[in-house]
Amino acid sequence: MKRLKHPKFFSFAMLGVVAVALAGCSQQSSSNTPRNKTVAVSSKDVISTMDSSLNTDQIGSQNLNNTMEGLYRYRGKQLKPAMATSIAQPTNNGTVYNINLRHAKWSNGDPVTAHDFVYAWRRIVDPKTGSQYSYIYSGIKNADAIVAGKKKPDTLGIKALGDHQLQITLEHPIPYFNTLVTGSQFLPINQRSIKKAGNTYGISSKEMAFNGPYKLVNWKVGDTEWTEVKNHSYWNAHHVQPKAIKYYTIKDPNTGLNLYDTNQMDRYQDISGDSARQLSNRHDFGTDLTSSTFYIEMNQKKLPYFKNAKLRQAISLTINRDELSNNVLGKTGTASHSIVPRDMTHHKTTGTDFVKEPSALADQQYTSYNPKKATKLWQEGLQETGQKELNLTMTTDDTDTAKKQAEYLQNSFEKNLPGLKVTISSVPFKTRIQRQSTHDFDLIVAAWNADYPDPTNFMDLFTTGNPQNDGQWSNKEYDHYVKAAETTDINNPELRWKDMLQAQHIITKEQGVIPLYQVTSASLTKSNVHNFKITPTGLYDMASVIKN
Amino acid sequence: MTRYILKRIFYLFLTLLIIASITFFMMKALPGTPYTNQAKLSPEQIATLNQKYGFNKPLWVQYFMYLGNLLHGDLGTSFQFNNQPVTQLIGNHVGPSVQLGLQAMILGTILGIILGSIAAIKKHSWIDALTTIVSILGLSIPSFVLAILLQWFFGFKIQLLPVALWHGFSSSILPTLALTALPLASIARYMRTEMVDVLSSDYIELARAKGDDSSEVILKHAIRNSLIPIITVIGPMAVQIMTGSMVVESIFSIPGIGNQFVQSILTNDYPTIMGLTLFYSFLMVVVILITDIMYGVIDPRIRLGKGGKA
Repeated sequence: MKRLKHPKFFSFAMLGVVAVALAGCSQQSSSNTPRNKTVAVSSKDVISTMDSSLNTDQIGSQNLNNTMEGLYRYRGKQLKPAMATSIAQPTNNGTVYNINLRHAKWSNGDPVTAHDFVYAWRRIVDPKTGSQYSYIYSGIKNADAIVAGKKKPDTLGIKALGDHQLQITLEHPIPYFNTLVTGSQFLPINQRSIKKAGNTYGISSKEMAFNGPYKLVNWKVGDTEWTEVKNHSYWNAHHVQPKAIKYYTIKDPNTGLNLYDTNQMDRYQDISGDSARQLSNRHDFGTDLTSSTFYIEMNQKKLPYFKNAKLRQAISLTINRDELSNNVLGKTGTASHSIVPRDMTHHKTTGTDFVKEPSALADQQYTSYNPKKATKLWQEGLQETGQKELNLTMTTDDTDTAKKQAEYLQNSFEKNLPGLKVTISSVPFKTRIQRQSTHDFDLIVAAWNADYPDPTNFMDLFTTGNPQNDGQWSNKEYDHYVKAAETTDINNPELRWKDMLQAQHIITKEQGVIPLYQVTSASLTKSNVHNFKITPTGLYDMASVIKN
Repeated sequence: MTRYILKRIFYLFLTLLIIASITFFMMKALPGTPYTNQAKLSPEQIATLNQKYGFNKPLWVQYFMYLGNLLHGDLGTSFQFNNQPVTQLIGNHVGPSVQLGLQAMILGTILGIILGSIAAIKKHSWIDALTTIVSILGLSIPSFVLAILLQWFFGFKIQLLPVALWHGFSSSILPTLALTALPLASIARYMRTEMVDVLSSDYIELARAKGDDSSEVILKHAIRNSLIPIITVIGPMAVQIMTGSMVVESIFSIPGIGNQFVQSILTNDYPTIMGLTLFYSFLMVVVILITDIMYGVIDPRIRLGKGGKA
């Protein structure tokens, strides 16, 4: 490790190897690397709010993750204790978590206590707060009733047993509870700062106190650039190498590239499909898998012939997903064969990726490009449903990439599915969502981003009667397995895993929804900056970033 | 004159009321909700939130509540930026847009007047041809093309000026130049046409016959008389440019107001849409009022109060 002091003896490739090695032992590395560096990166938009109860977007979550610390923190894909001293194991049949908190400080000098958690958690479920994410507390004792206004916020299943001891009570076991609470909705809030700021909490950094690796300074909402300096009150500050993180809001790809190429930015990230296609051959180009899946839903309520599995399977088989990802999406997406994202959930003991289990791999036959079989199934399906010619409208977003993708799909469908005519309707995001929820579409390209890294977060969507089941595909067997994974088998990890695999098999075989691609985040990164590790919920752990 | 102005101010508020009303109902017809996490909310959750914000009330009740708040100067708080009062949102972003707009207008107007005048005086010369070319280019090249070219050349290629971002005056040069093209081109064109007209009029002939030397004639009579139609164009153009160009602002990553407006419409941020529409409309009607008053200053023949009686 000491040789890192002389990077000139290393090739870039070797530096890369060292950086990977450093990930495992950051303690040694941080004392050897310079500590006066500012890492400048791009952000695709401004921060809307720093109030963790009100935040709804990924940018807010990223900056909250940089500046605040909850019970646990993801270091890449590894869940590590943060404010909690260890990863808690539940008692009482998986419904009670006793968590010890470490003695840490807020940036304003206050101690971080169990009361800060209790306060923040009660605040988000309080209907008066108007949080758009309160539903994520569902399963914590009384959360649903409080959100619906039927119980008082102080009945929520969280109690401070002392200044540094929390007790959380659930209504039913939540097997992924420890990963769920890494979300920004579960962060503590410093009560002194929120009392000072009142209604304006989270719209400027002035009144805020931070307990995370960095603290936001001189920021007010809407700023197009902002700085987060190292927080010396942070309990693990010793392991944070950069002096500061600087964000620039970049909306135009040329601007991002020019700033990056004139060395004003160390990393240009969230590059959109069109630009990524042009940049993907550069040596400093990279992609990270996020936990978002795009898929096509077919409206079975409006068009009952879509209850015929052959028609759905046929559509899926016409799509060459690899070609779509590489040529149309410019590597900002990678082929999806399941609605569940890859590299999000792994088997507890074997470590196998959920979507790479043997049953999932075998099911790829339903999503692998096979135009001949598609034509055959389509014709059979038409005959079985008594249809001859179908005129369908496909609703998509109106971004450049979404439009190109729609044209690609239109072409694939019409070429291989005789009698099908597809009209594209590209609409703004809000309109697309509206059409989804009012079931006002024939075919729609929709997406889901993981709230927590568990397959049920995706599988729940397509159970019968779920409000997000826009196409209203319905399968009793599927419902049964998803339900079993969430109730009867919830405390048995092996059975639960099998239930979820069964559910995945059914929806893939049936093509209840047609998976298209998993979103990857494309970026350009300078060779002297390392360790941008993406978490299962698509955030970067900026505390681990190293700049030489 | 005072009565005229008071009357105009009354109409100004009436115009604003009509604009506010039309915008309110059009905005409510937009599909979707203002909730940024709408995609993940169930119908029950949306109903609970609608109740909190009063969106479950009949539209006319919401309308009168809105007008009531407006009378107290309360534009509400933004949905995109939770808890941020709309007045503050506009205040925080309007500075850079107005600065760029003013710089571009001043530069464009001065250059446009100079170029247009010279073109008219030296009619059919090379400079006249150049003015025509500049006008056509300025009007036909979209500002974002110019912005990208300027950014690439001055920011990236020769690295003389900042590529983007908002750090002091030097950051404002390239976006100002990108925004200058349009006012420069249209003012030069108007100026040339007017000036050619004025130069061939009787009173210029008379002035010349009286023995005024050429430069005096041009400065004292020709330019002044050619300015009247220019003033009509400058006002609304200034408002348009000052209220922010979304494209130029996003290319140069400027924390201006242009982008906010588009964002607020795309996200159904009702209070921000209303706030910004009213703000734009207010600027526009005020500028039109000022333009009318300015006419009188420049041309005594259309001095307002008397005009009505004559």
